[in-house]
Amino acid sequence: MRTVRALSPLLRRAGGRDARITTALACTAFAVVTALALSVVGGLLAFQGRAAEPVANGEPVFGYLYVSLAWTALALLVVPLVTLGGAAARLGVSRRDARLSALRLLGVTPREVVGLTLVETAWQGLVGAVAGCLLYVLLIPFWTLFVFQDRPFTPGELWVGPLVLLAALVVVPLLAAGSGAVSLRQVVVSPLGVSRRVRAPGLRAVRVLVAGVLVLGFIVVSVAMRSFGAVAIGVLLGSFGTAFLALNAIGPWVLRLFGRRRLRTARTPEQLLAARRLLDDPKAAWRVVGGLGLAGFVAGALAVVPALAAAQAERDATAEIIGRDLTTGGLLTLTLTFVVAAVSAGITQAASVLDRRREYALQHLAGLPTELLDRVRRREVLGPLLLVSVGSAALAIVMLSPLFGFLALTSMTGPVLLVGCLALGCGLVLAATEASRPLLRSVLAETVVRAD
Amino acid sequence: MTTTPLAGPDRLTARGLVKRFGETVALAGVDVSLAPGESLSVMGPSGSGKSTLLHCLAGILQPDAGDVVLQPADGSPLDLGSLGERRRSLVRRQHLGFVFQFGQLLSELTALENVALPSMLLGASRDDAELTASGWLGRLGLDGMGDRRPGELSGGQAQRVAVARALVTRPAVVFADEPTGALDQATGYEVMRLLTETTRAAGASLVVVTHDADVAAWCERRITVRDGLVVDEARRADGTAGAATVPAGAVPGVAADGLDGWAGAR
Repeated sequence: MRTVRALSPLLRRAGGRDARITTALACTAFAVVTALALSVVGGLLAFQGRAAEPVANGEPVFGYLYVSLAWTALALLVVPLVTLGGAAARLGVSRRDARLSALRLLGVTPREVVGLTLVETAWQGLVGAVAGCLLYVLLIPFWTLFVFQDRPFTPGELWVGPLVLLAALVVVPLLAAGSGAVSLRQVVVSPLGVSRRVRAPGLRAVRVLVAGVLVLGFIVVSVAMRSFGAVAIGVLLGSFGTAFLALNAIGPWVLRLFGRRRLRTARTPEQLLAARRLLDDPKAAWRVVGGLGLAGFVAGALAVVPALAAAQAERDATAEIIGRDLTTGGLLTLTLTFVVAAVSAGITQAASVLDRRREYALQHLAGLPTELLDRVRRREVLGPLLLVSVGSAALAIVMLSPLFGFLALTSMTGPVLLVGCLALGCGLVLAATEASRPLLRSVLAETVVRAD
Repeated sequence: MTTTPLAGPDRLTARGLVKRFGETVALAGVDVSLAPGESLSVMGPSGSGKSTLLHCLAGILQPDAGDVVLQPADGSPLDLGSLGERRRSLVRRQHLGFVFQFGQLLSELTALENVALPSMLLGASRDDAELTASGWLGRLGLDGMGDRRPGELSGGQAQRVAVARALVTRPAVVFADEPTGALDQATGYEVMRLLTETTRAAGASLVVVTHDADVAAWCERRITVRDGLVVDEARRADGTAGAATVPAGAVPGVAADGLDGWAGAR
C-alpha cells in the first residue's frame, strides 16, 4: 500500500497529451453520469413529495402511480449510466497500460498495479462527480420547464439535498474504481507489456431460451390479466423489467450471430474489419448499443400511449393528464437514455482507438487509408445499432399486443413518434462516435510509433 | 556523396535528402540508391537519423530538401517528394511493403486475413486475396496457422506473418525497421533468413534499418548513418546476400565487430 500511496500522485501528473485527452473524456463521462443520475433522483423525490402532500385533484389517487413510474425511469437509466461509468473507467485504464507494465518491470507487484489504477480511476470519478454536481445544479432550471400533473416542477421540488450530493461524491468514485477493476481483468499487465486477453469466452444458446421463457411468460400473464383493464399500467411496468432481462440475455448472443453472418458475407476490407471487431467481443458491442435497445423498447411501448391516452381522454380529464404525462415522462426517459448511450458509444470508440493506436499507426504507415478506418467505425456501430433499436421496438409492440392489440398502429402519432425517436437516437449515437475522429487523426499522424 | 549503382536503372534513388525537426537536423544531405532486387542495410546508433531516412525513402515523411524517386517494376518513375499525402499513401499500398519491429498486425483479424488485407485494399476479391495469402503463409512455414489471431502467435510467427503481409502485393521495395528488435537471437536469425530469401525470390529490393551488425550482415550492401550523414558504406565481399558470411554455429553467433565479410568500408 505504501507503494500505491507514493506512486499515485506521480502517475496522476505523468503522461502526455493522450493522457490528458483520456482523463478529460473520462471525467466528462463521470460528470454526465452524476448530473443525469442526480436529475432523475431529483424527479423521483419531486413525485414523492407531491404524493405525500397532494394539492390538486386526482393527485392523492395517482400520486403513487407517478412515484412508481419515476422508479421505473430510474431503473431504466441505471444500466446505461453504469455502463457509461464502466466505459469511462476502461478508457482511463487503456492509456495507463504502458506505464503500468513499466512499473511491473521495476518490481511493482500485480496487486499494487491494480491498486494504483483504482486510485487513479477513483480520482477521475471524484473530479467527474464534483463537476456533475455543478452540472446538476445548472440543469435544474431546465427541468422546471417540464409540466407533470398539470403543473411545472419547482426548483425546490427537484433539489436532492446535501446528503444525496455527498452520497454521489462517494458512490461515483467507488463505481469508477469498481469498473476499473473489472476492466483490468481483461488485460494482462506483465513486465514486458500489456496484452489484451484474446477471444472473449463464447456465448451459450441458453440465453435465447431464458429470453424466450421471459417473453412468453409475460405474454401469458398479460393475456390472463386482460380482463382487468386497471392493471394495464402495472403490466406495462412489469413489461419493462421483463424486456430488460430478456434483451440483456439475448442481446450479445444475437449480436454474435449477426457478426458471424456479416463475417461470412464480408467482401470488402471494411466489412471484414467491422464484422471481426463485432465478433471479437459481442458483449462489449452490446454494452454500447444495449442502452439503446432498452430505449427502443421504451419507444415501442410508448407508441401505444397516444392511442391509449386518446381513448381514455374521452372519459375523464385525469386520464387525459396521466396520458399526457406518460408521453412526456417516456420521451424524457428515452432522450436521456439516448444521450447516455451516445456518450457511452463515443467514449468506447475513443478507448478503442487508443487501444489499437500502434496497430493503426503502423497500418497507416504501410498505406492503409484513413477513410477505411472511418468507414469501419461507422459500419461497426450502425449495424448493431439498427438491429438493436428496431428489434427491441418490434419486441415491445409484439409483447404488448395481447394487452392493447396493435393499438399502437391505429393512431399515426405513436408510430411517427417511434420512428422519429429511433432515427434521432441512432443519429445521436453515430454523431458521438464521430467525435473520436480527431483522436484517430492524431494517432495516425504519428510517424514515430512508440513501443507501447 | 553517391553510391555505386548496379547495372540498370535504380529501383529507388534519393538525392540530397535533408530533414529537420525544429532545431534538430535529422538528415543533413543523404544520397542513397537501390538497384532492383538489391538488399541494403542502414546502420547507426539511436538518434543517428536512420529511421528518418527510412521514412523519407518510403514516402512516409516528406524531406525538407532533396528528391526521392521510386521506379516501380512497371510504369513510369514516381517522384515521392512531389506527391501529396493521399498519393504517397497509395504508392505505399501499391508498390512498397513494410515489416516493423512488432505490433503491425491487426489484432482482430486472423493471420490469414491480415495477409489478405493489402490485396483486398488494392481491389482483389476476398476469396482471391485469401487464396494468395494462404500461399504466402505456406511459403513462410506457417501452414495451418491461418486461423490464429496475432495474440495467439509467438513473436517469430507474428514477424513471419508480417513478412508475408509485406510481400503479398509483390512490392518493388520492402522496408524493414528493426525487424528482429523484439525477438531472441535464434528467432531473429530465422526471420532474417526468411525475409531476405523470400524478398529476393519475389524480385523485390530490401531496405533494413537496424543497429545490429548481425542483422545487417544479411544484406548485400550496408551504409552507416551518423548525425544525419552517411559516414560509411560497404558491399559484401562475396557480393551475395544471406548468411554465407555469418560464422558457423547455426544459431547466429556472428562476427564480433560486425565487419567480417564486408569490403570497401570508407
